[in-house]
Amino acid sequence: MSTLTKTKRPRGNIGTFLARRIFQSVIVILIVTLIVFSLLHLALPQGPALGVLGMQATQEQIDAFNHKNGFDLPLWQQYLNFLWQLLHGDLGASFTLNKPVSVAIGQRLPKTMALALIGMIVALIVAIPMGIYQATRRGKIGDVALTAWNFVIYSTPSFFLGLILVIVFSQWLRWFPAQAPQGSTVGEVLANPAGLVLPVLTMALGIIATFSRYMRSATIDNLSEDYVRTARAKGTSVTVVVTRHVVRNSLTPVIAMLGYYLPVMFGGMIVVESLFNYPGMGLLFWTAAQTSDYPVLLGCVLIIAIATVVGSLLADLIQALLDPRTRGELA
Amino acid sequence: MSSETTTAREPVLEITDLTVDFHTDNGVIPAVKGISLNLYPGEVLALVGESGSGKSVTSMAVLRLLPGTAKVGGTIRFAGNDLATLSEAKMNGVRGKDIAMVFQEPMTALNPTMRIGEQITEVLLNHDMCPKDQAWERAVELLGRVGIPEPERRAKGFPHELSGGQRQRVVIAIALACNPRIIIADEPTTALDVTVQAEILDLIRGLAAESNTAFLLVTHNMGVVADVADRVAVMFRGNLVEEGPAERVLLAPEADYSRRLLDAVPKLPEAAWSEIAGIAEGVPGQIVQIDGVVSEPAVDGATPGPGSEAALGQTSVRHDGATPVTEAEFARESGTEAALELVEATVQYTRKGATFTALDAVSLTIARGEIVGLVGESGSGKSTLGRAALGLAPLAGGHVNIFGQPVRDRALLNRRERAARARVGVIFQDPGSSLDPRMTIADCIAEPLVVHGWQGKRASSALRRKRVAELLDAVELPTDFADRYPHELSGGQRQRVGLARSIALEPGLIIADEPTSALDVSVQASVLAVLRELQERYGFACLFISHDLAVVHDIAHRVAVMYRGGIVEEGLSSEVLVRPQHEYSKRLLASAPSPDPVEQARRRAARAILAESVA
Repeated sequence: MSTLTKTKRPRGNIGTFLARRIFQSVIVILIVTLIVFSLLHLALPQGPALGVLGMQATQEQIDAFNHKNGFDLPLWQQYLNFLWQLLHGDLGASFTLNKPVSVAIGQRLPKTMALALIGMIVALIVAIPMGIYQATRRGKIGDVALTAWNFVIYSTPSFFLGLILVIVFSQWLRWFPAQAPQGSTVGEVLANPAGLVLPVLTMALGIIATFSRYMRSATIDNLSEDYVRTARAKGTSVTVVVTRHVVRNSLTPVIAMLGYYLPVMFGGMIVVESLFNYPGMGLLFWTAAQTSDYPVLLGCVLIIAIATVVGSLLADLIQALLDPRTRGELA
Repeated sequence: MSSETTTAREPVLEITDLTVDFHTDNGVIPAVKGISLNLYPGEVLALVGESGSGKSVTSMAVLRLLPGTAKVGGTIRFAGNDLATLSEAKMNGVRGKDIAMVFQEPMTALNPTMRIGEQITEVLLNHDMCPKDQAWERAVELLGRVGIPEPERRAKGFPHELSGGQRQRVVIAIALACNPRIIIADEPTTALDVTVQAEILDLIRGLAAESNTAFLLVTHNMGVVADVADRVAVMFRGNLVEEGPAERVLLAPEADYSRRLLDAVPKLPEAAWSEIAGIAEGVPGQIVQIDGVVSEPAVDGATPGPGSEAALGQTSVRHDGATPVTEAEFARESGTEAALELVEATVQYTRKGATFTALDAVSLTIARGEIVGLVGESGSGKSTLGRAALGLAPLAGGHVNIFGQPVRDRALLNRRERAARARVGVIFQDPGSSLDPRMTIADCIAEPLVVHGWQGKRASSALRRKRVAELLDAVELPTDFADRYPHELSGGQRQRVGLARSIALEPGLIIADEPTSALDVSVQASVLAVLRELQERYGFACLFISHDLAVVHDIAHRVAVMYRGGIVEEGLSSEVLVRPQHEYSKRLLASAPSPDPVEQARRRAARAILAESVA
């Protein structure tokens, strides 16, 4: 039955959708760089010179540094220079690492992605069945206990959680090392799985707490849908109704959340990587922030911004793929 | 219809002393208080009653699909076996195979992410009805059997690609898949348009006759009962108050409640069926006798009947009463402009580059103090017309005037236009969701007073409270409802609040979009009575949008029939709804089921003739 308050829903095909989203993404990334660029200069109006050269630096050294890096130019010109370099794929050179930012990030990014991916997969393998289990036993002791546990984990800061894990599993039980594997390539890092256990666990616990909640509420929502009743009336058992009908429909919003969760996860990576001294992007970002390494900071922020927009784009696409209703009307 | 013959047979379902209690945090709520019913093979037993009477709970109890908070007592025997004693696995063997179910909401009853074919093969494979590799073929076959066009293609599609009526057919196909002995249909046509409803009911009648399937039809629609039921059981607050052959219960109800329920159903006067169907046959003037038995209609194969699609596009019909009844009769206000005037109003939407005309150069005038009913099926453009009148739909052509002031974009309104706008009240369909759950009833009603600066911007809250009390009184609600919240009220009470809100500013025009379609018949009757009384007292004009022809006949002075974005017929209610001229109006009237079995038989006969002349 139609009502007076019906709203029009925009539609478009997948090509125009992608084109529009990519255009939007470029704008978003530009705005992010502008904001970060401005913030850096607001926070340190005198520039990064002191941080890079040390407190004992003379005024001449500082002036020379500023002139060499273009920090004596007006701010808008500095920003345009940054963009111009960016257009040529040049992120500038690190002040402290003696190498181009792109090289530094290129070395670190794969390792961070590997750790994030492993953490995410481990977390989802636990969180999704946990959410389904809780939803199907809603209000019973198992659900209540897991809810309580997840709330405790969720409200514990991850650096504290990581410290506890280190004390318990590394210092008391001596099962796993407290230091993450060091190495310059992903292969070298993965060659030492024992060292990865605690960083992965620290990351995964938080993700499990978050995503088992999402999965639980999505499953509960779906269990009350009419189609579940229809399936039950066909003589399909409860277990099969859940696995065949409910899980797929409940996963759709959870997977969409995953895309939007990427930036949150990167924030977590900074903590985990510095806690376990893991040679990834997070640690790079952390050290760059402490040493006022502007080019590295800007480069990292750019990567995070790209990851964020790509993540949300992927989330929308996956959602469309899983749900036939949205296939025709992406926008 | 045939109680002697059915009692001689073995019942396929025996319900004895069934009780259902819901254990909630607020104590035990009894939903079914000990009812006994027998269902025989090949019959359609209608279980009727209003919401909360326990009819749906009874049907769910048969399949043991009630939530865990429900405690079921008494026995339900299927083919001699007590269903309560079966294990869950055994019960799953019964569900869908021996007893199948058709649900109320076709829009949500199917899994949105599963292919339609798969949703049918699921039930086939659950009960090993056929080898795995033949299941798909069977599913396609079933889709064809329930009248889905292009079943091969549809089987591969998803539910959202189908209309509500087609989805309901899919749900019926699922129910039919295993040739069950019983089909429980819970309000199978409630969410559908009348013409689609008529088709689904035909399908049910055919199946009961052909395959000896027993139907337990749960419904609140007496017209549906008159159309398909052999026997009727009437439920009231968890009790069975009356049971008997359909004709007897509908024509001479014994229980007090049945009588009240039937009285509340708005009825159309007997239409001039012989005349209508006679014209429909393509021989103007010649009258075909249809008294229960239909004479073989002489269809001329050479020339297309006037009921064909081409004929449906015929120019609209305007009866003598098409123009507003004279001012002398209706004008209770001074001033000469019409309350609402649409002149060649056109509304278009663009979707995927294609332009869809929702309203096609429609002209309609509503005089002051006049109620005009707007009928038609979903998608006919009647809600769009309402939106256009409120300035909520962008006009692609023509213009709309309210009290002589043009309706245009809100931002462009000048003071006089705004004053005209303040004289329009709106009543929405869903009384549950059109009130803010966090506002008290008093705040909900007073909102238009505040927005439009009633009695000057600084009207004291005491003055507003007094006005709210007056309004509550006008809609026959106790004044202490002012401090309650919407969720504490029943659907009918909430719709009265909606009424009170719409008349708060003493409007000259009220636009009501399906204001009673979400309500039970007896509640609907009381809300309509209040609306009629208010209209007589305040003399406002009203655009009453509804799909229910009988309700419109009850309340509207004039009626306009919409079809595909245009008005095809317009005139006095007593003319259009008794002697419709346009083919589409005839079809619409013939599809609206009447609670009177005799009248209903005539309608069905007329519909058959109309349908034949189209084919």
